[in-house]
Amino acid sequence: MTRQPRITPSQVEVAAAERTRLANGIDLYTLPSDDFEVLRISFVFRAGSAVQQVPFSASAAANLLAEGSRDMTGAEIAERLDYYGSWYDVNLDRDYAYINFATLSKFFDRTLAVAEQILLCPTFPEEELRSYCAKRRQRLAIERTKVDVEAREAFAKALFGAGHPYGISSDEAEYDRLTRDAVVAFHTAHYTAENCFVVCSGRIGAHERQAIAALAERIPQRAAAAPAVFPEPQTTCSVFVGHPGAVQSSLRIGRVLFPRQHPDFVGMQVVATALGGYFGSRLMQNLREEHGYTYGAVAAMVNFERTGYFAVATQVGTDVTREALREIFREIERLGEKPMSEEELGLVRNMMIGEMMRVLDGPFGIADVTIENILCGTDNSIISENIRRIRRITPEEVRQLARRYLRREELVTVVAGAEKPW
Amino acid sequence: MHAACCIFVVMIAYERKTLANGLTVAVNRDRASKLAAVNLLYKVGARNENPARTGFAHLFEHLMFRGTRDVPNFDLPVQMASGDNNAFTNNDYTDFYITLPKDNIETALWLESDRMEGLDITPGKLETEKRVVIEEFRQRYLNQPYGDQTMLLRALAYKVHPYRWAAIGLTTEHIASATQADVEAFYRSHYHPSNAILSISADLEEERMMELAEKWFGGLADVPYTAEPIPQEPPQQAPRREEVERDVPATTVTVAYHMGGRRSADFYTADLVSDLLSGGDSSRLYRRLVKEQRLLSSVNAYITGDLDPGLFVFTGQLLPGIAPEQVEEAFRGEIRSLEQGEATPYEIEKVKNKFEANTLFGEINVMNKAMNLGFYEMLGDLGLINREVALYRAVDNEAIRDFCRRTFREENASTLIYKARP
Repeated sequence: MTRQPRITPSQVEVAAAERTRLANGIDLYTLPSDDFEVLRISFVFRAGSAVQQVPFSASAAANLLAEGSRDMTGAEIAERLDYYGSWYDVNLDRDYAYINFATLSKFFDRTLAVAEQILLCPTFPEEELRSYCAKRRQRLAIERTKVDVEAREAFAKALFGAGHPYGISSDEAEYDRLTRDAVVAFHTAHYTAENCFVVCSGRIGAHERQAIAALAERIPQRAAAAPAVFPEPQTTCSVFVGHPGAVQSSLRIGRVLFPRQHPDFVGMQVVATALGGYFGSRLMQNLREEHGYTYGAVAAMVNFERTGYFAVATQVGTDVTREALREIFREIERLGEKPMSEEELGLVRNMMIGEMMRVLDGPFGIADVTIENILCGTDNSIISENIRRIRRITPEEVRQLARRYLRREELVTVVAGAEKPW
Repeated sequence: MHAACCIFVVMIAYERKTLANGLTVAVNRDRASKLAAVNLLYKVGARNENPARTGFAHLFEHLMFRGTRDVPNFDLPVQMASGDNNAFTNNDYTDFYITLPKDNIETALWLESDRMEGLDITPGKLETEKRVVIEEFRQRYLNQPYGDQTMLLRALAYKVHPYRWAAIGLTTEHIASATQADVEAFYRSHYHPSNAILSISADLEEERMMELAEKWFGGLADVPYTAEPIPQEPPQQAPRREEVERDVPATTVTVAYHMGGRRSADFYTADLVSDLLSGGDSSRLYRRLVKEQRLLSSVNAYITGDLDPGLFVFTGQLLPGIAPEQVEEAFRGEIRSLEQGEATPYEIEKVKNKFEANTLFGEINVMNKAMNLGFYEMLGDLGLINREVALYRAVDNEAIRDFCRRTFREENASTLIYKARP
């Protein structure tokens, strides 16, 4: 069969979010789209685990918001949201808490009334906290029987240090010691107007905008506490976590680099994509397609508020752990030795641009990207700027970036599995 | 409160036709997206496998990415066209999908038509792919806590029907023993136009999409083949029970009951009952067994939704100090309350609202739409895609009581106790 000509999308266009500064200083961003009778509202707070003093207080504060409020019990809140078919979810990362509501337009007002309870007057009942801690403790214990989770936690520790806000992980027994006071104190200190912005996408008219603004304006202002000291990372170069009987080893290789604002971040995303960011990447071709060592391997740049890191992650058969490590290092070195062909780089560019289009398909995806851009101190115009950067990068630049930032002696290696490979 | 508040109909506009070679084509115009989604469903799954070669349909799905006579690397042109592709295999069917900028839609059609008749599998490719699939088996089933739980449940509930094994297969040995001759026979038998469904969602005229389907697939010859009949499961006559002990932190209790297939009238009632029991934080099992009685850290009730008669499954993870018998009794208590007709009109309305909202949220995406068109066509009634809301709406308390009495009988139950090793 004959091929058909393919067209490389030259640019990805995203509407700018409209920003309104509310009376209490909160920025409300709106992305109206009338194609669907739904809308999503996200409240983002700088209230991630990196700012907590007490283990698990950040996640407990976020996850218990809907478990009881001044006017409603947790059961009533769940009942109302379920009745409207509204989605409510809470995500937490090291830096931020994301409180999201998605609702059909016809249930907007009623969903917002519940959102008001969740955001403005949660009570964190003691009984709900204890039940939550028991469940979470058990879930974490289960998670930690997986080599992949063991490797992930050990990798964060190895990159940043066991006591660092980005490296720390706590014993699950800490759940038993978590008090209501600690959760309330965390909530009071961090769920403030100064720490918050709001992004709304979907079918938004004047009524919706006004109602969301009225709610957000009631989020209390409070002078920010002095920022906690942010220590320098303490890196350990190799860590093995023993897991007797594991039939696969989980591997992590990487290093601390820089956050998204750094001029080389996008360039390093190109490097990471070429190495392990898509199905045809070098690691997938080598480890999976050529050797059959693994079901999958990825490489990526990961962004935090204050820094970022580069990582390779894969799970491989126990018996081929050494060989897989050797091949990963070989592929990393190869990137710095010889410029890739224009053809390969063209492929990587197209993949990255196509991925951006997929992420931006639909109002919910656009909201996610908008949030990420705001968190990086920019706006949606950065998308076309990044795409221009991706289109202009040369094979020689990619080689130099790999050579400069991925020196073998600076890479951290973590293995969780049955046998120590070194 | 529950009267006429929520009558709206979610509709997917589509056109459907069958080409001369037997390929069914279904298309939807999505005016909002810049992407095209192309889905190709083959009506073959693990239920069509030889009991001595389980896992083969899934292995074969992997081989479909291993290149053809004309296109040695399947992924390369997809990626050059900024596309993303993947596939999955379940017990009933195998599904391949690509999303890419809509201007590149012909790249997807070209590649799918090419691999429908030109697959080129060498012994070397087969050997590597077997290793990849065995690593997948290890990663997802053997090296995971509770990884073998659903496998054990299938083997307990089915004694005859091929649903007694999962799509990954019974053991890695079956995968390791697949031969070149098996591959060729399977390809000939199942991968041809009249056993496939092509579905597309994109912002293109329906007529244009039909023309493109004809252009790329019209020239393929059909290879008529009569599928082997699938041995059906005889009614279960006595309760079944199995206990295993594993190195996991928490014991789980799972109880499965045989029920009708995806095309039976029972499906809608069962789906609604499973939602009453465990859809969301206000559901019966979550409220009573997790929050009030604190027996479980998590609970789920779900239906398998298979083409042939499937299972209605209760499963819960026990909190420390709780005995499995308490949980089995608690499940029975919830069943009794449904049989006695305690579901209120309000509660039934709630799960119907939720179904509608989930449908609408899901429709935001071209990929979901293309995939759904293929799925409903496979069910043999594409029109069902727009009639299901009404079918859910028609379920009443009488239907729920009747379903529960017929289904949740002791002699129809298979109970699996997956014990944490002390």
